[in-house]
Amino acid sequence: MSKNNGFRQGMQVAFRLGTELTVATFIGAILGYGVDRFFGVRPWGLAVGVILGGAAGSLNVYRAAMLLTEEEQNTENDDNNS
Amino acid sequence: MESPLHHFEVHTIIPIHIGGLDLSINNAVVAMWVGLAIIAGSFMLVVNRGVSPIPGKLQSLLEVALDFIRNMVFEFIGEEEGRKYVPFIASLFLFILACNLIGLIPGSYTITSQLAVTGAFAIGIFIMTLVIGFGKHGAHFFGILVPPGVPKIMIPLMVPIEIISMLARPISLAVRLFANMTAGHTVLAVLFGLAMTGPLWLGWLPFGFTVVINGLEIAIAFIQAYIFTTLTCVYIGDVIKLH
Repeated sequence: MSKNNGFRQGMQVAFRLGTELTVATFIGAILGYGVDRFFGVRPWGLAVGVILGGAAGSLNVYRAAMLLTEEEQNTENDDNNS
Repeated sequence: MESPLHHFEVHTIIPIHIGGLDLSINNAVVAMWVGLAIIAGSFMLVVNRGVSPIPGKLQSLLEVALDFIRNMVFEFIGEEEGRKYVPFIASLFLFILACNLIGLIPGSYTITSQLAVTGAFAIGIFIMTLVIGFGKHGAHFFGILVPPGVPKIMIPLMVPIEIISMLARPISLAVRLFANMTAGHTVLAVLFGLAMTGPLWLGWLPFGFTVVINGLEIAIAFIQAYIFTTLTCVYIGDVIKLH
C-alpha cells in the first residue's frame, strides 16, 4: 500500500476534516434542540448548541490537523534518514 | 431501468422470526459471512499448512498486513499498551477491508454502505474506549473533559465543547465510512445506467468512466479501512494517555 500518492493523501485529509466539522456542529445543534425541548428555553438552547458544536468541530479539526502534520514530519524525517 | 440505489436494498433470503425478532438471513448477512470466511480462511490455510521461515505468497501477504497494522497500533497507542489491542485492530481492519472489496464485485453487496453496520462498529468502539478509560483511570477519567493548560475561567465553556467533541467521534467515524462507500457505489451505478441506456456511440464514454472509478474505489476501500482503524487507535490512545 503506497502512501506516497499525493492525490489519495489529499482526499484522505479532505474526507477526514470535512466530516469532523460537520458532525460536531450537527451534534451540538441536536443537543441544543434537546435542551430546548426539555427546559423550554427556545431558542437559546439551539443557538448556544450550534455555536458550541462549531467550536467542538473546530477543536476536532485542529487536533486532526496536528496529528496529520506530525505524521507528515515523521515521514519526512524517515525520508531524510534513509 | 433500475434505480441507482437498487443495489443497496436488503433482500431476505431465509426468513427466520423468533419471538417478534427478525433474524432473517439476507444478502447483507451473506456478504458479511463471505468477508469473514475469506479472512478467517486465508489465515487458517496458512497456519494449517505450517508457518514456514521462508514464507509463501499468501503467508508473506498476511505477514505484511499484520506488520503494517502492528506498527500503526504501536505508533498511536504505544508499544507497551498497544500490544493487547493489536488482534482487535487487525481483525477490524481486515474485516472492513474485505467487506469494502467484496462490495466492488458486480452483483454482490456492500455491507459497509449500511449506516446500521458502521454505526454498530462505531458505537461498540465508543463504549470500549469508555470502559478502557474508566477501568484504567477510574474517576480521573473525567479529566479528559478538561484539556491541559486551560485557564480556570474557561472550564465551564470547555466542558460542554469537549463533551460534544467526544460524542461527535463515533458518529463521524460511522458516517465517514458509510458516506464514502454509498457515494462511490451510487456514482458507479449512475454511470453504468448512463452507459446502458445511451446509444453505443455515446455509451462507451460513461462506461470508460466506470472502469476508472472502479479503480478509484479500490483505493478508497483501502483508505477508508485504514482511516477507520487509525482513528480507532487514536481514540483508544487518547483515553489511555489522557492527553
